[in-house]
Amino acid sequence: MRRHSGLGAILLCLILWAGPPGAAHAAAPFAFPAVPGWNLAGQPQVFSPETLYDYIDGAADLYLKYECEELQVAEYRKDKASVTAEVYRHRDALHAFGIYSQERLPGADVQAIGSQGYYESAVFNFIQGSFYVKLTSENTGAEDRDTLQAFARGLSQVLAGASSLPGILSAFPAEGKKQNSEKFIAKEFLGYAFLPSGFTADYERSGQKYQVFVIVGETPEDARSMLGQYLKQIRHGTGPAEGRYQVTDPYHGDMALLWKGKYIWGTLKLGDPDLRAAYLTQFEAIPTR
Amino acid sequence: MDQRLAMGRRDFLRTTATGLGGFVTLSANPSRPPDAPDTFEATRVLGKTGIRLPIISMGVMNTDNPQLVRAALDAGYVFLDTAQGYQRGTNEAMLGEILKDRPRDSFVIATKASLPKDQTTGGYGPGATEEAYTRKIDTSLKSLRLDHVDIYHHHGTWTREATLHEPIVSALQKAKRAGKIRFIGVSTHRNEPEVLDAATDSKVYDVVLPAYNFRQRHAAEVQRAIARAAGAGLGVVAMKSMGGNRGGASASSQIDARAAIKWVLQDSNVHTVICGFTTFDQMMLDLTILKDLTLSAAEREHLRLASRAAGLYCQGCGGCVRQCAQRLPIPDLMRAHMYLYGYRNLVAARDLVLSLALPQELCAECGVCPATCANGWNLGDRIRDVVRLRAVPADLLAQPGEFTKVLVNSPG
Repeated sequence: MRRHSGLGAILLCLILWAGPPGAAHAAAPFAFPAVPGWNLAGQPQVFSPETLYDYIDGAADLYLKYECEELQVAEYRKDKASVTAEVYRHRDALHAFGIYSQERLPGADVQAIGSQGYYESAVFNFIQGSFYVKLTSENTGAEDRDTLQAFARGLSQVLAGASSLPGILSAFPAEGKKQNSEKFIAKEFLGYAFLPSGFTADYERSGQKYQVFVIVGETPEDARSMLGQYLKQIRHGTGPAEGRYQVTDPYHGDMALLWKGKYIWGTLKLGDPDLRAAYLTQFEAIPTR
Repeated sequence: MDQRLAMGRRDFLRTTATGLGGFVTLSANPSRPPDAPDTFEATRVLGKTGIRLPIISMGVMNTDNPQLVRAALDAGYVFLDTAQGYQRGTNEAMLGEILKDRPRDSFVIATKASLPKDQTTGGYGPGATEEAYTRKIDTSLKSLRLDHVDIYHHHGTWTREATLHEPIVSALQKAKRAGKIRFIGVSTHRNEPEVLDAATDSKVYDVVLPAYNFRQRHAAEVQRAIARAAGAGLGVVAMKSMGGNRGGASASSQIDARAAIKWVLQDSNVHTVICGFTTFDQMMLDLTILKDLTLSAAEREHLRLASRAAGLYCQGCGGCVRQCAQRLPIPDLMRAHMYLYGYRNLVAARDLVLSLALPQELCAECGVCPATCANGWNLGDRIRDVVRLRAVPADLLAQPGEFTKVLVNSPG
């Protein structure tokens, strides 16, 4: 209040007017669990969005794109073996699924822990609520899988959050869909800044590899706005009106699109025009909620 | 089709290196690094590697969109930078799928890997063996579907000791002799001068990849170490030209990418900058830098303001939190303070403060704030200042007016 003596009075009025402040959200705390036979090595480390680089270097950029709000890391030891537990807390469950889906490898050995997890040698990753948990082991020998599963179960019990995947994933057409290939892209979907996010899944039918995607607007009007901007970007003459579109994107090639309510469904890299048309019919049959 | 989109590689080269005669005259400006040259080349030679690269390159780490990479290569980007750790290897695998259909001499690629380090000391443990690192190199080649990469970086070191860790250096040298990698590099995101000096002294490294940007408090030191490396013949690739997301995603998004990249490229010892664009528009926009490195008056002013914000940037060491009787999230509050006074973004500052679930009574128990700051800031004053935003109704901030000006111009 150095330059404007009236500011104090203004603020006082505002304080009286506004009443007590509310918290937008608060993170659910957790404590790393005790695991029988294993000892925690030192105190867990905590990293904020500003310090995430210090732990995962350049990979931090992608985690921040998926709204990582905090990382806690603990190391457990048992003789010469060790397990490192990284617990990333993201803005919400959707963004946790997004970064998880970015890192899940094709053909992952999927496990029913949390919303979903998978095991591979010396690695167990899973999501639960807004948490993305990454476990890595060293020198665990033949017990590696059992050990990591025990840690995953232990952590799952102390973490809050629902154990379910985004509901929209179940709306993707089943035929030809590659199992566990679904992804959530958090920003700049298809490489366009005006498409804030979208879901994709990989498909293969009749030797053709392609993708199906859906963009979910906040409202039908939001979807109209996004589609309008997209059609303008690719210089497509018609729209936006609800219904089917066959468009050519300068970067993505021929695409089939369907706008229905707050949903924009589409195909990517699908060369067969008949199959594209068949998908439009399938998209139309997906109920809007 | 947009005329820019139709620009092919041949056009790109014609309109940059050749079309501009290879040189552009820069105007004087206060934001450029000291001793910056008055001319630059749209392509530069990557030190003793002899590879001539456009000064703008693509950092692939932030995208999983293969069409963006294809479009970048078609538009004239030549040098791609990835890492084994990005998306747990799927970033390399995506590039492998793209590059398998392109002539090997039409692109230059760098990737990188590390082994687990002690996060406190930065040193390697007994698991950091030559065999383990060799497996990393072989995994990268398999994912990329290549028999060799142009540069393999020892990734993310921040001490001299780790940079010179013998088993990793030995693995890299053997891979080079075996033809798996053409050149050996090292990347560093912090304590860059020590790493660059170690790499220069070692006579092992061919290329260095440091974070380098106008927001670094030690930018002059980084610049000195870069000059020394370049003088010794090392290729210099710069990254994090906008300071990465270290200030948080919303802080980074407020940086003018073109201005930040130009700032780096005015240092002639930097041979190329990797840009982490994620949209087609950003990709084309970054290319325009090749035609004009001049910083406009508006860009200079932007960098000046953003530098001021960098002066407000909390390094997030967390030392203050342990000293605070209420265990307040002081680094987050300092970030809100930066949003308020650096970016003048009251909405972001207020949202952040409200998200912290702070106790209603702050600092009441302490006559003098016991928390000390590595930056030398008076934390108590800054906390009391920024938490005033809790009392400001959101709708007032939605319509910036005289009140907004008054608040931002009146710290404390």
